[in-house]
Amino acid sequence: MGSKSIDKKRKAPPQVSESESENELADGAFDGVLSQSDDEEFEPIDTEDEEEDEDESAAGSDGSDDEDDDALLSDDIPSDVDDEDAIGKLLTQTEELEIEEPGVDPKRKTDGDEDRNYRIETDANGNERYVYEEIDPVYDSDDSDAQGPVNTIGDIPLSFYDSYPHIGYDINGKKIMRPATGDALQNLLDSIELPKGWTGLTDINTGNPLNLSEEELDLVRRVQMGLNTDDLVDPYPDTVEYFTSIEEKMPLSSAPEPKRRFLPSKNEAKQVMKLVRAIREGRILPYKPPEEREREEEEKEEVHFDLWQNEEPQEANPMHIPAPKLPPPGYDLSYNPPEEYLPTKEEREAWEKTDPEEREKEYLPQKYNALRKVPGYGVLVKERFERCMDLYLAPRIRKNRLNIDPNSLLPKLPSPSELKPFPTVTQTIFRGHEGRVRSVAIDPSGTTLASGGDDGTVRVWELLTGRQVWSVKLSSDEPVYTVRWRPNKDSFILSAAAGEDIFLMIPTCASVTPALDQASRDILAAGFGYATNGQQHGAQPGKEPPAKWARPGTKLEDEGVLIRITVRSSVKVINWHRRGDHFTTVSPSGQRSSVAIHTLSKHMTQIPFRKLSGLAQTAAFHPLRPLFFVATQRTIRCYDLQKLELVKVLQPGAKWVSSFDIHPGGDNLIAGSYDKRLLWHDLDLSARPYKTMRFHGEAIRTVKFHRGGLPLFADASDDGTLQIFHGKVPSDQLENPTIVPVKMLKGHKVVNKLGVLDLDWHPREPWCVSAGADGTVRLWM
Amino acid sequence: MGKVKKRGVAGQAKNYITRTQAVKKLQISLPDFRKLCIWKGIYPREPRNKKKVSKSATASTTFYYTKDIQYLLHEPLLAKFRDQKVLEKKISKALGRGDVSDAARFERHAARPEKTGKPRYTLNHVIRERYPTFADALRDLDDCLSMLFLFANLPSTSAVPAKMIARCERLCLEFQHYLIVSHSLRKSFLSIKGIYYQANIQGEDILWLVPYKFNQRIVGDIDFRIMGTFVEFYMTLLGFVNYRLYTSVGLKYPPKFDQLKDDQGGELGAFALEGINLATDAEATKAITNGESTEQHGPDPKVQAEVDKIVRQLKEDDTNGDKPAEADVAGDAEEAEVPSDAIDKFEPVAAGGDILPQPSYSSSDPAKLFSNFTFYLSRETPRQPLEFILRAFGCKRIGWDSVLGDGSFTTDESDPSITHQIVDRPVVQAAMEAGGDGEDNQTAQKLGPNARYPGRIYVQPQWVWDCVNDEEIKSPENYAPGAALPPHLSPFVKSKEGQYDPTLPLDAQETEAEALDAEIADGDEEEAGSDNDMDVASDNEDEDDDFGGFSGEEDEEDEEDEEEASDEDEEAATTLQRQRELEAEISGKQVKSKQVDPKMKAKLEARKELEKKAKEEAEDLERAKGMLSKKKRKLFEQMQYTNKKKSTEDEKLRAKRRKLEKELAAKKAGKA
Repeated sequence: MGSKSIDKKRKAPPQVSESESENELADGAFDGVLSQSDDEEFEPIDTEDEEEDEDESAAGSDGSDDEDDDALLSDDIPSDVDDEDAIGKLLTQTEELEIEEPGVDPKRKTDGDEDRNYRIETDANGNERYVYEEIDPVYDSDDSDAQGPVNTIGDIPLSFYDSYPHIGYDINGKKIMRPATGDALQNLLDSIELPKGWTGLTDINTGNPLNLSEEELDLVRRVQMGLNTDDLVDPYPDTVEYFTSIEEKMPLSSAPEPKRRFLPSKNEAKQVMKLVRAIREGRILPYKPPEEREREEEEKEEVHFDLWQNEEPQEANPMHIPAPKLPPPGYDLSYNPPEEYLPTKEEREAWEKTDPEEREKEYLPQKYNALRKVPGYGVLVKERFERCMDLYLAPRIRKNRLNIDPNSLLPKLPSPSELKPFPTVTQTIFRGHEGRVRSVAIDPSGTTLASGGDDGTVRVWELLTGRQVWSVKLSSDEPVYTVRWRPNKDSFILSAAAGEDIFLMIPTCASVTPALDQASRDILAAGFGYATNGQQHGAQPGKEPPAKWARPGTKLEDEGVLIRITVRSSVKVINWHRRGDHFTTVSPSGQRSSVAIHTLSKHMTQIPFRKLSGLAQTAAFHPLRPLFFVATQRTIRCYDLQKLELVKVLQPGAKWVSSFDIHPGGDNLIAGSYDKRLLWHDLDLSARPYKTMRFHGEAIRTVKFHRGGLPLFADASDDGTLQIFHGKVPSDQLENPTIVPVKMLKGHKVVNKLGVLDLDWHPREPWCVSAGADGTVRLWM
Repeated sequence: MGKVKKRGVAGQAKNYITRTQAVKKLQISLPDFRKLCIWKGIYPREPRNKKKVSKSATASTTFYYTKDIQYLLHEPLLAKFRDQKVLEKKISKALGRGDVSDAARFERHAARPEKTGKPRYTLNHVIRERYPTFADALRDLDDCLSMLFLFANLPSTSAVPAKMIARCERLCLEFQHYLIVSHSLRKSFLSIKGIYYQANIQGEDILWLVPYKFNQRIVGDIDFRIMGTFVEFYMTLLGFVNYRLYTSVGLKYPPKFDQLKDDQGGELGAFALEGINLATDAEATKAITNGESTEQHGPDPKVQAEVDKIVRQLKEDDTNGDKPAEADVAGDAEEAEVPSDAIDKFEPVAAGGDILPQPSYSSSDPAKLFSNFTFYLSRETPRQPLEFILRAFGCKRIGWDSVLGDGSFTTDESDPSITHQIVDRPVVQAAMEAGGDGEDNQTAQKLGPNARYPGRIYVQPQWVWDCVNDEEIKSPENYAPGAALPPHLSPFVKSKEGQYDPTLPLDAQETEAEALDAEIADGDEEEAGSDNDMDVASDNEDEDDDFGGFSGEEDEEDEEDEEEASDEDEEAATTLQRQRELEAEISGKQVKSKQVDPKMKAKLEARKELEKKAKEEAEDLERAKGMLSKKKRKLFEQMQYTNKKKSTEDEKLRAKRRKLEKELAAKKAGKA
């Protein structure tokens, strides 16, 4: 094969550069030669079967190759291979090859024409001019080993080029044509007789089968076996003795043997001593069988010595808290305790019923009349375990126990007996109302008492005797929420509110002289003429007036009820101005118009607030100055009626103020709240309360100062009690008021969680009346 | 502008560390951490403000001081734990490889305290660290002793191997020996949980609990690993404490332990104490010498015993006055050390100085309480506690039935030297007559069930304890076999003012109101009784009771409801009167109230007055309380609550006792 290629080179020296065609040619020739030789050796008939097999297998393995092959063959070689008529074609092909062989390849002939390395052109003079193709200088043209065409396609598989006639490009960008691979028969023949150096591999650069020479194969084998690639290297050369083992007779040096040769080594001695020490100290133990050693170890006693030989007391860490000792056993833990320690049946049951973790004591005292009867204590181990857990798991806190007499905390209060007089006992019980009594009031003269209740009636009683002198039913379905007397002694007018109506009436009773009665009637009637005028003047037509003043009808008028004022929503509170011409009403549900100020002499009603922040609870006039107080749920606001401006906002700090009252001196105010608090405000000082008192278990309904000069005030609560306080406001501005609780009045029963609903003081005496939810009114004195 | 402070880098957040963080920091497992904490005495702390300490703390998070954990970082035990962990890993790896021989080799190096009862480490340094002085160690001995005595009576578990328990037992017995020798046991108390002992060692009171000898029931989930860790520590502690105590009284530690005797149930007798100086001298061995007869008695045949008895009787007669010879040997040794303990009396020379409380011995020397007696324990009595307590209080000769174990002074019940016999069996009724006085000591060993040897005192075990606690020999009549025992009282309770004390008579401690109540009730009863003198007593008694109950209830109501006005008291009085009249009518008697009235009336009035006063006081209190600020009021109420709780408890006890006394009186009256 090698010789062949050399021949070819010789034949066509100018084609060196044209490697492509040369290769093609060579291959073609080569193939032809091969196939020919095969043919010579085998008979075609014999090969038929094998050929078929081969072909089929080839088709199976690379079916696509077949088609390419066909295409190639059609290009290069006129013969064509089809799968269907493989045999016939094969035969014809061989014939063709045979035919082609003796002569020159037709292709080659054309190559010879075309492959002249020059063109003939006419130059400017019209002469023939040979234009040679540019010879590209191959860099390694000197290198005889260099392979001609080097495929530049890189690392992509050859199969990408399967559908093309070329298999890549050389360095010049020229196509490297696919070498003619033999047809199926040829493959078969190849497989039958392996050519020399056959590897079965394909050269990736050329696409030709890769054959290796003998030497190359040998080299590969050596590399594979890990041998030296060079054949000539002897892996096992004889040793060359550089130093002889034979002692020379004559020493090189005549120096005498040093002394150290005869002395024991210090270093060794050190090492030995190390071991000796280790043995002495017991770090290295002489060998013993393991069982024996174990036995010895077991027998070894714990070594004890005086651990505290040179003890030195240390100050305990201040952060260290020693574990508390368990309390010593008490009498009840005895096996034979005094009998009073034994639990009764109920106690035993109660103990057994409670959860073991919630028990106060984890044992029940037991009595055994003899020591032999004492059983083992069942939970002893558990108790110990719990102690252990406490010791290591319970956080320890140092708690300072206050070792003081609790009574020393209490303030020293003046004894109530020094602060007398104040009401202490029930003097009279007024019975008659059905259902709750909502409101009570004592008239300015202090002889009669008015009360209103859920049954819709207003009753007037003689204060001291408890006799009912007058009664009127104002409403059949609405309760009378409030009754208030006009505060002047020149009249005898009672106001009451039931639902949306406010009634002004003159009760008829023995204490009312005709003159007084007439005066009162005059006062009430005075406004009628004015009212109509005023209304015509004041109210815009079309707009609904805030209240309607009218006569209540003959039936009521006969009873003494003379005026009915109808407002927009139900009225809960009435409070009179000290002069008796104005009174204010509050209807908490009536949003904008909840607070109204009525003028009796003009039969006029005004609504002072356009807008009110929060629900109005109650309102009152200042006892001395032209100020007006309105309590909403959280705050109490104070307005100046002359300047028409907000003066002050008190913040009692309660969630829901129920009522308030202003000290007759005018500088202090008390407020009660539904959250059980009674608050004392000093109006001159802060907006916050001066004192907060919480004596009641339930909501506080009403608070009242005594108006007759006694330093008393009281509150009424839902827990059924009234509390009387001594609240002295000193004349000196700098002194603080003294507040002392003096008495808790109990008597009213709590009905439906309601206790005392209202209270009022007698105008002069230290007496008070209270209205209870139990349907009674009590006079306390 | 100031620097913005970061959260969790200073202050409380740095002072505290959670348990998880601590375990992570120390790089040990949680069980190891637990062990370390137990031994080093490190316990969690409760920060004042949990939120400041940790952002994500829940209620159950435990905090430690960071300093504490830092201090643990330098602990040599930590290295041991790590080594052990590494070894375990190696073993498991070897096993995983299937390399059994390797695993076995490693296993040999591993400490298996759960099998051997002996760990590789010692806790000596920890003990020295935790208790820098011996007094510190004594102060903390309560839990140690309770724990070890409990474990000496427990079955072994995987966490607490049998060897450990044997060691506990030995340590406890050694400690008991010290107490016996030094006579430092002071008090003891038979409770339902077990027996409490209190010893005074070097001025330190130590109280511990020993369970009764029963198989302990193990209920609930008890982690014996934790207990085991504690026991390990306590064993080391008690070992060193014992050493120190033994050397302090001139004894060698550890004492000689006789396995054979122990196997025979010798308990305390299995130890032989040796003096330090005379270690080689065999005679100086201060074994629990149970009289001289210990050695001779056991193996002797009957005849020998008889002879011995006679000899001893003779000897007894000689030495009856003073101590027996053997006791002297021990006594001498002690007396040599005692003199320094004598207390000098400080007499005021000149008048005018303050008088200080002076140290004093208790009236009787604990070493001599039982020193002249010979005890014999019947077989139903608990031998161990009795032996221990008797010896600790100076008794030298204790005999017991042979079923109670080895080491007794005599197993012969009929031994005439016995002065006291402790019996805990009921008197058999049938045998009472038969075994009367007729049979005398000339009869043989076997006596009737109730037969007594003359010349000795029979008592129940409680007698010993009561003697010890009262430091005097109690008269034995109350403690005779079968007798109803007087109540056994705890000697540890210190009576406080106003607290109920069962030793005092009722009159001395009840409040005025209670006394009045009681008197009124009594008066009623008496009155009723006198009314019904001629009547059938029984049917009226019920009524009386009812009546008494009624009045009592009324009182309670009065106390609770203060709203009841004083007139209601009057009402009550009138109803009382009415009731009386009705009763009289029923019984067909004249109304005798006139005669009894003045006394009763006075009492009732007094009662009324008291109540009024109480009410007023309550009202005053209420008024004053209202003026307190919220914080102070809470504090006040809390104080009131605890005080009231205590006083109601006492009140209940007094009421119960009154009732019992009344019943007793009634019974006596009935008998009379």
